[in-house]
Amino acid sequence: MRAADEALPISHREAGLPTPLVGMLLFIASEVMFFGGLFAAYFNARAVSFGEWGPPAGAPELEILPIALPITLILVASSFTMQFGVWAIRRGDQRAMRNWTLLTLVLGVTFLLGQVYDYTTLGFGLSDGSFGTVFYTLTGFHGAHVFGGAVGLTILVARARQGQFSRQNHVAVEAISIYWHFVDVVWIALFSTLYFLR
Amino acid sequence: MSETAFGYLLLAIGIAFVLGVVYAVTSHIGSTTTRPHPPRGVHLPNPSALPVIMAVGGALLGIGLAFRADDQPVANPFFAVPGLLVFLYAIVAWVRAAGREWDETERGSHDDTPGH
Amino acid sequence: MATTALSPTTESYRRSWVLEWLTTVDHKKIGVLYIVNSFLFFFAAGILALVVRSELAVPGLQFLDERTFNQAFTMHGTIMIFLFVVPVLSGFANYIVPLQLGAPDMAFPRINALSFWFLPVGGLLIFSGYLFGGAAAEGWTGYAPLSNYSSGVGTDLWLIGLLLVGVASILGAVNLIATIFKMRAPGMTLFRMPILVWTVLVTATLILLATPVLAAGMIALFIDRNYGGSFFDPNAGGNPVLWQHLFWFFGHPEVYIVILPAMGVVSEILPVFTRRPLFGYRAFVFATIAIGFLSFSVWAHHMFTTGQVFLPFFTFMTVLIAVPTGVKMFNWMATLWRGSITFATPMLFALGFLSMFLIGGISGVMLAAPPIDFHLQDTYFVVAHLHYVFFGGSVFGVFAATYYWFPKMTGRRLNERLGKVHFWLHFIGFNLAFFPMHMLGIQGMPRRVSDYAPDAGWTLWNLASTAGAFMIAVSVLPFLVNVAATFINGEKVGDDPWEGNTLEWATSSPPPPHNFDKLPPIRSERPVFDLRHRHDAEHLAADVTVSEGGHS
Repeated sequence: MRAADEALPISHREAGLPTPLVGMLLFIASEVMFFGGLFAAYFNARAVSFGEWGPPAGAPELEILPIALPITLILVASSFTMQFGVWAIRRGDQRAMRNWTLLTLVLGVTFLLGQVYDYTTLGFGLSDGSFGTVFYTLTGFHGAHVFGGAVGLTILVARARQGQFSRQNHVAVEAISIYWHFVDVVWIALFSTLYFLR
Repeated sequence: MSETAFGYLLLAIGIAFVLGVVYAVTSHIGSTTTRPHPPRGVHLPNPSALPVIMAVGGALLGIGLAFRADDQPVANPFFAVPGLLVFLYAIVAWVRAAGREWDETERGSHDDTPGH
Repeated sequence: MATTALSPTTESYRRSWVLEWLTTVDHKKIGVLYIVNSFLFFFAAGILALVVRSELAVPGLQFLDERTFNQAFTMHGTIMIFLFVVPVLSGFANYIVPLQLGAPDMAFPRINALSFWFLPVGGLLIFSGYLFGGAAAEGWTGYAPLSNYSSGVGTDLWLIGLLLVGVASILGAVNLIATIFKMRAPGMTLFRMPILVWTVLVTATLILLATPVLAAGMIALFIDRNYGGSFFDPNAGGNPVLWQHLFWFFGHPEVYIVILPAMGVVSEILPVFTRRPLFGYRAFVFATIAIGFLSFSVWAHHMFTTGQVFLPFFTFMTVLIAVPTGVKMFNWMATLWRGSITFATPMLFALGFLSMFLIGGISGVMLAAPPIDFHLQDTYFVVAHLHYVFFGGSVFGVFAATYYWFPKMTGRRLNERLGKVHFWLHFIGFNLAFFPMHMLGIQGMPRRVSDYAPDAGWTLWNLASTAGAFMIAVSVLPFLVNVAATFINGEKVGDDPWEGNTLEWATSSPPPPHNFDKLPPIRSERPVFDLRHRHDAEHLAADVTVSEGGHS
């Protein structure tokens, strides 16, 4: 047994996931539970509606065209472009990463604008019964999370402009890309629930 | 004395009492700041006012949401706008500081996560 | 007084202490901030309890009207749970866990500070309802439809304040989990971590996964109240019971969030003051993890009387969760058995925890049976149960932690005689205040009532309970005097005044900003104990695991 004064100096783990990434994964776990609570509200409201579930009388049924399906495809595409950006910076190609991230940002903003436009065509609001409430709360909070992701993407583009990412040092890109994929997965669940499961 | 005035008086006394307690406790714990040299490989982040600032911004935003008048659609702008601005300033400053510290540790030695 | 010769050298300079504390990102200072802030809210909520108990001492409305009474018990519950007991344990976790891991700080120090500062801000928002027409008054559980329809801004401020506090706890949980997984000192495998770290790890996981559901529910309630939403409004297709589901899906893990760190504290203290290792370290770890999992499966036992839950499942899971809790009880008993016990104040509070939490646990298992619950739901029996586990459990744990780690945090030990006065007044007052409530509940007294009939036969127990409440209030005085006197002129101590087992005792009291200059070798869950006894067993080779408790 070594004596006390031969004790090892402090160092932290170099192995395993980088700490900021661990933090982001844990944060995403909490966000999954948050959306879980909102989905629970949706399914509970649907269960107690006893068959009368959907937009209130006078408003059209939810349709996947002309808006919902295209913006879904745009958001899914943005996940691909985000991942191309991550692969680029893992190769050390900062310029490609910057361009893919910028494209992801553009696609994300397009999604948001499309969502807002969709809201104007729906014919019902938050205060029009329980369906309206859960619809706008779920899609609204999802949109807010997309907006937060867009802020993150903007920061990535700005920092890439300043040359702050390299092959060894780009944990922020990895973390934000995981967040962006999460936002996309939530949308796929939401889209399926609202437009297919009904 | 009206109820509201009594409330404010209680609040003032409460705040004074709290500050007194905080002063009494912390002035004994924090009267001299030790800054010994950490061992090699240990990087401690610098103090930062951003957490307090962000908390205040969040509070103002929350107050704006709670005190919404009937003719305001989302929140009371008198509180929500300054709150949002303070909050956004804090986020931007935080990200910039984190980026700066990350670069310093990268260009310095190859250990430790920067301050977050 | 053992020292372990690892205290670092220091230089010092003066800095404005206001700025120092406002801008600190040091987990130790943040821990102190959490603890001081929490105790201030404890006193405020305690005064509200005295208000409630004064009104209920004898029949008739003597001091308050119904609405003020409702605000009092609502604020009491909300502040005690969200602004005292969870944050104070969080504060101890913040201070002690990095030290016990041999780490220089938490994984995300600035976010750590952010998590703290949301607390006083959130708490003030919650209280500020009193200034604007009345605070929230629907009970800490805020059931719809009452909370949906109540007028005034108090409930909205309550919701906003709790949302801020909730975000803060989620960030704190991320921080703790990341720290525990990423910043352990070399040699500290997961199964060499102190038990407190394990309980904090499971607690943080519960916070991470349960609090967002409360946030969703509270946001939904805010939308209903302010934006014309219909989550909980039956007139527009909403469902009031949805609130109960969302609230209790969080609310049940919440009570384990409240008790697990206190169990960790007791598991740290018992070995030190019995001079024995904790019995069944691994069983304890697995029991804690099991409690974590099971806590998500029992929430509807708070809703048995809605008629809308599947009773057999939730009864079964609730009784099941008593099993790992019982395992822990037996581990603690076995640790005490044939130990060389020192009855210092931390140990007294730890023993108080064991006995009082046992009573609270038993009354909980009684309530798990629907036939019993149907009679006792919303009566004082539930109030008795929750105070025996929250107060008899967690608050005793909080005071145990305070007496135990005060020397580490300040370099001075609290006075033992005053500590014993505090303990006995506290223990007797607590039982006098809350044991009669079991009888009151069985006799049918409902909770959350501001008055009761003079011929109900409840007056004697209510009077006894009020006397107990005031005794608890009085017991706080020797504690405060003790703290003040110790700061002024208390007994100074070195690194390791209690002959502890874990790494926080391997550095100076208080520790320097970076915590450690050197660490002892870590070959078991008791590295400081091993260091102190390193010459005892000459035949021990460097890599043999020291297993005193039977396993490692």
